[in-house]
Amino acid sequence: MSQAFEQQCRERILAASAGAPLLIQGGGSKAFYGRPVQGEILDTRSHRGVVAYEPTELVVTVKAGTPLAELEAVLAEKGQYLAFEPPHFGSEATVGGMVAAGLSGPRRAQAGAVRDFVLGVRLMDGQGQALNFGGQVMKNVAGYDVPRLMAGSLGQLGLLLEVSLKVLPRPVAEATLRLETSQAKALTLMNQWGGKPLPIVATAWEKTGEGESLTVRLAGARAAVQSAQAVLGGDVLERGAAAAFWDDLREQRLPFFPAAGSFGATGSAGGPALWRLSLPSTAPTLELPGPQLVEWGGAQRWLASDAQARHVREVVEKAGGHATLFRGTAEAREQAFHPLAAPLLAIHRRLRASFDPRGAFAAGRLYEGL
Amino acid sequence: MGDRLPDSPDFATDRAALLAGLGRILPASRLYGELEDLKPYECDGLTAYRNLPLAVALPETEAEVQSILKFCSANQVPVVPRGAATGLSGGAMPHHQGLLLSLAKFKKILKVNPVARTALVQPGVRNLAVSEAAAPYNLYYAPDPSSQIACTIGGNVSENSGGVHCLKYGLTVHNVLQVRGYTMEGEPVTIGSAGLDAAGLDLLAVMNGSEGMLTVITEVLVKLTPKPQVAKVVLAYFDSVTKAGNAVADVIAAGIIPAGLEMMDKAATHAVEPYVQAGYDLEAEAVLLCESDGTPEEVEEEIAAMRAVLEKSGATSLRVSANEAERLRFWAGRKAAFPAVGRITPDYLCMDGTIPRKNLAKMLLAIADMEKKYGLRCANVFHAGDGNLHPLIMYDANQPGELERATAFGAEILELSVALGGSITGEHGVGVEKITQMCAQFTPEELALFHGLKAAFDPAGLLNPGKAVPTPARCREYRQIRGEQA
Amino acid sequence: MQTQLADFIKDTPEGREADAILRTCVHCGFCTATCPTYQLLGDELDGPRGRIYLIKQVLEGGPVTERTRLHLDRCLTCRSCETTCPSGVKYHRLLDIGRQVVEENVPRGGLEALTRLALKEVLPRPWLFNPAVAVGKVLKPFLPSALGDKIPEAAGAPAKPRPTAVRQRKVLALAGCVQPGLAPNINAAAARVLDRLGIQMIEEEKAGCCGALRFHLNAQEAALDDMRRNIDAWWPHVEAGAEAILMTASGCGAHVKEYGLLLKDDPLYAAKAARIADLTQDAAELVMAQKDALLPLLAHRPAAGRKVAFHSPCTLQHGQKIRGVVEELLEAAGFTLTPVADSHLCCGSAGTYSILQPVLSKQLRDNKLSALTAGLPEVIATANIGCLTHLQSGLGSPSSRPSIAGVRHWIELLEDQLTAPETDSAAGTVA
Repeated sequence: MSQAFEQQCRERILAASAGAPLLIQGGGSKAFYGRPVQGEILDTRSHRGVVAYEPTELVVTVKAGTPLAELEAVLAEKGQYLAFEPPHFGSEATVGGMVAAGLSGPRRAQAGAVRDFVLGVRLMDGQGQALNFGGQVMKNVAGYDVPRLMAGSLGQLGLLLEVSLKVLPRPVAEATLRLETSQAKALTLMNQWGGKPLPIVATAWEKTGEGESLTVRLAGARAAVQSAQAVLGGDVLERGAAAAFWDDLREQRLPFFPAAGSFGATGSAGGPALWRLSLPSTAPTLELPGPQLVEWGGAQRWLASDAQARHVREVVEKAGGHATLFRGTAEAREQAFHPLAAPLLAIHRRLRASFDPRGAFAAGRLYEGL
Repeated sequence: MGDRLPDSPDFATDRAALLAGLGRILPASRLYGELEDLKPYECDGLTAYRNLPLAVALPETEAEVQSILKFCSANQVPVVPRGAATGLSGGAMPHHQGLLLSLAKFKKILKVNPVARTALVQPGVRNLAVSEAAAPYNLYYAPDPSSQIACTIGGNVSENSGGVHCLKYGLTVHNVLQVRGYTMEGEPVTIGSAGLDAAGLDLLAVMNGSEGMLTVITEVLVKLTPKPQVAKVVLAYFDSVTKAGNAVADVIAAGIIPAGLEMMDKAATHAVEPYVQAGYDLEAEAVLLCESDGTPEEVEEEIAAMRAVLEKSGATSLRVSANEAERLRFWAGRKAAFPAVGRITPDYLCMDGTIPRKNLAKMLLAIADMEKKYGLRCANVFHAGDGNLHPLIMYDANQPGELERATAFGAEILELSVALGGSITGEHGVGVEKITQMCAQFTPEELALFHGLKAAFDPAGLLNPGKAVPTPARCREYRQIRGEQA
Repeated sequence: MQTQLADFIKDTPEGREADAILRTCVHCGFCTATCPTYQLLGDELDGPRGRIYLIKQVLEGGPVTERTRLHLDRCLTCRSCETTCPSGVKYHRLLDIGRQVVEENVPRGGLEALTRLALKEVLPRPWLFNPAVAVGKVLKPFLPSALGDKIPEAAGAPAKPRPTAVRQRKVLALAGCVQPGLAPNINAAAARVLDRLGIQMIEEEKAGCCGALRFHLNAQEAALDDMRRNIDAWWPHVEAGAEAILMTASGCGAHVKEYGLLLKDDPLYAAKAARIADLTQDAAELVMAQKDALLPLLAHRPAAGRKVAFHSPCTLQHGQKIRGVVEELLEAAGFTLTPVADSHLCCGSAGTYSILQPVLSKQLRDNKLSALTAGLPEVIATANIGCLTHLQSGLGSPSSRPSIAGVRHWIELLEDQLTAPETDSAAGTVA
């Protein structure tokens, strides 16, 4: 079956060209993300299933079209999980899309990002060649780290066929605490805690109708979670409510996130755009119009704002970070990602050319022409 | 052996012109061109492969690095960057038609930021020096390759170095936030960010483990980790290496992720004991070092769980470190294992294959057979938790034929690693040493993509050419020979 | 490491020894991390691994010029690398052999040769050296700073009276060459401490310089003569039952402990030299062995609580591998030791190094003093006359660092404690 699928893909890739390129798509759950691109859809969803899974090796290999939910269920059966907690943004989300989008959930600051867990990939390049990089072992420095490069490459380098991921046992104990605090104070606290051996796996500061609060998730050995609870204080969230909160944060269902489809162009009256600001965790509260939600110990901040893109980027860059227009109108997303310095942009262009010299895959999802 | 780089194109560098050009950038005391001075630079930690450079440059400032690169780029001179030269794959072996660019003078720790938990360091800073500088804040730099006393951060990034604690704390790639440097053309680049990600493709991921072939690194921002409150290590002795190998899989199967899980066989403990006097049991065939860290309660809980698993797996005796000094001594033995083997043999080759943990015992038995086949001894030191093997093949370079036998022995181990579902190198890099075995692990199309990736950073192919990725010609020859053997 | 020694040396005793040492080195580079000069210069050629390679090149018949000699000259012979080396490379022996070959191939000329000659001939002879210091003090303002800095501002504390009791237990002590002139109280203090422990200390006048000075200036034959003379001077005492040969300068101790090795090919002296080496003990070892007798003597002494920074000389910690012993004795005597970063690194004194390599020496001294004074000690203690005067020269006049009382030999501090007035242990907080 894999062979048939690969053969099919190869034929379509070879038939495609820069004038009539292919747009790789899984469930389409993250189609909103990145620059708008056109192309003939290459649907990966028929290429699904777990290829190999040995819990004692802490590695799973799956076909790229496998629904993410299906993979998570398989892991859960063995008490394991994807520690970077990828957002789904819809039940159709696939494993390939998860890697290509490179998005990670609330645990990212502590556990690592998608790229940190990608051990190997099988991909098809722009010439229809099926290639294997990395593997199923934890450490592997044979050749350049193409598997990690694929994370977040948004289909610009090639078609993911299979991925091998590192998986971890679920922590034995978990607890969620909530403290009332301002954003500035929350940033200070998160950075202070970050310097201590505390089992903090996720943090979120937000301002709601009920006030400003910092929610903290602890996970690990029972004894470690208990002693940390005593150190941090705050109110303990009931289990169900806690799980729902972190799920809703990851899936952007909290009231902070405007309902899908209601996003406007930046600076227009159509509604705010959703920005993802990636910053040093120690960056102070940024003076930008619109509400903010802070995650990852201060390193990821969501901003719902109708401020001019240029203004947002200037402020964020000054603070040492970069800004992504995460959700917005197609027009606004023409510049979804923070501009690159010239030498880096040149490297990006040449990289794409080496993976897809013929332009078989629709270009421009990351930057214009690439 | 290996006094050339067959995988590099030819460069027509004129030494006099090179020295004259660089002489306008560097003072004579930091530029070498005489044989007498060049010779000690002819190899890194892998002495079996040597090559004299045309010149050695020791810049002190980024401006000097940039000028040197611009000059070499304009004059088509290959450049090999080098840190402490502790590498074990010949990655920093010089190019015979090129310049060896030492970054050993870049040894300033520019800033330790305890709040952001980062350290900004120059590439020539020693791995251990970062942790020492962070220690007053109860922080440390997590990756701890065994050569951490001497190896430098620039080299760690280039090799994506691991260590004895990376099962839990990750490799270099997981602990580096940003790298600044210069392309071969002398263009400044900043890759990564002070945040957790950067815009565009994840070039930082490819920088880690790039073996000095993509850009020259002049500054690295690393992540610091809070020191655990307590750490203890269990020593578990076994009467056979296979039992020890199986015990490793059992520990992971029990849902335990030890902070470190290492193994040494009898030959290795015999080599290190005179140096560290750690008190290892010298009768045992193998010892596992299994570490737990965290809060005192957590560690107690985990150590109990580890003991139970290890006893069930057939450990003949167990010993838990009594205090921090003893814990460090137990690890000191493991970390000094490679060079300590120098006490029992004049030369050794250190292999670096990784395999799925379940195959550890199978591999150990195969190595025992190879010892007989090649008539050479082998000491085994493993990052067992990662399935990363370091068989140390002992030989005497003064005996004709021994190096060749050792090399064939090593090649067989690496190829078996690939056959068992693993890789030819886990953390030491391909360099010149394993370049042939790359043909076993990758297809010509895959290797072509690697060449393309390098060209994206270094279109002229001047940075550390002839390393890590073999030419199609080498692989055609390799396949021909293998085909004939089969 | 692979070796192919050249014909000129391959079959000599030195050649065989060098070959064996070279072959234990696996080129791992761990040694560079703790080498003081590599840490300063970041050049392979100025670290142990690079020097080993340079020597290998020389012994294999490769080219050798001033370029090689320069890097060998820069080595402090601190032997920090030997402490670090997991393979057990006997670096200092290889260096001795290498330096001699290089010295023969690349003779020195002019001022450099003269300076070395002067050091070789004056320093080991107290009758020349002491008047020279006196003259030097007068001339100091006119001397180049490398030399001028070496002339101590104030010689150590004046010597306390020596005990006169004749005791059954006797140890021999080396007076040394420069120490009696520069810090006469050190051996006096040692004699007084030993006297309290029931041991009589004897200095044999016919013994002189231990030979280390000339040996490390590549006058190895002359050095061997120094050594033979000492053996002859000490031998009657050894036969009479002296328990040990005491060294209050760790630099001398490290060298005398090698007599056996260095004279192993001399049929007349080999056996005696081995015996002398066996009997030799640093003051730290000797006093520590008497700890049971010492502790009660200290029990009722005022708990000084004085903060001391201890600088362990390379010849003590790397050369003789004596670590933590002096520290334990000082703590037993009631001193508080302040933490010292990079305590494994050399202070830059290294015998005549401070005169021959003034720039590096000064850098190392200043780094060392920063590390030693970071914990705000009241006094710095050490165990070797060379380090003592070198560090003292960096402290400058007492007015420039009024908080530090100076640099002293630890045995003097211990002796001060022993002779301090007894107090009631309950009152125990006399300043």
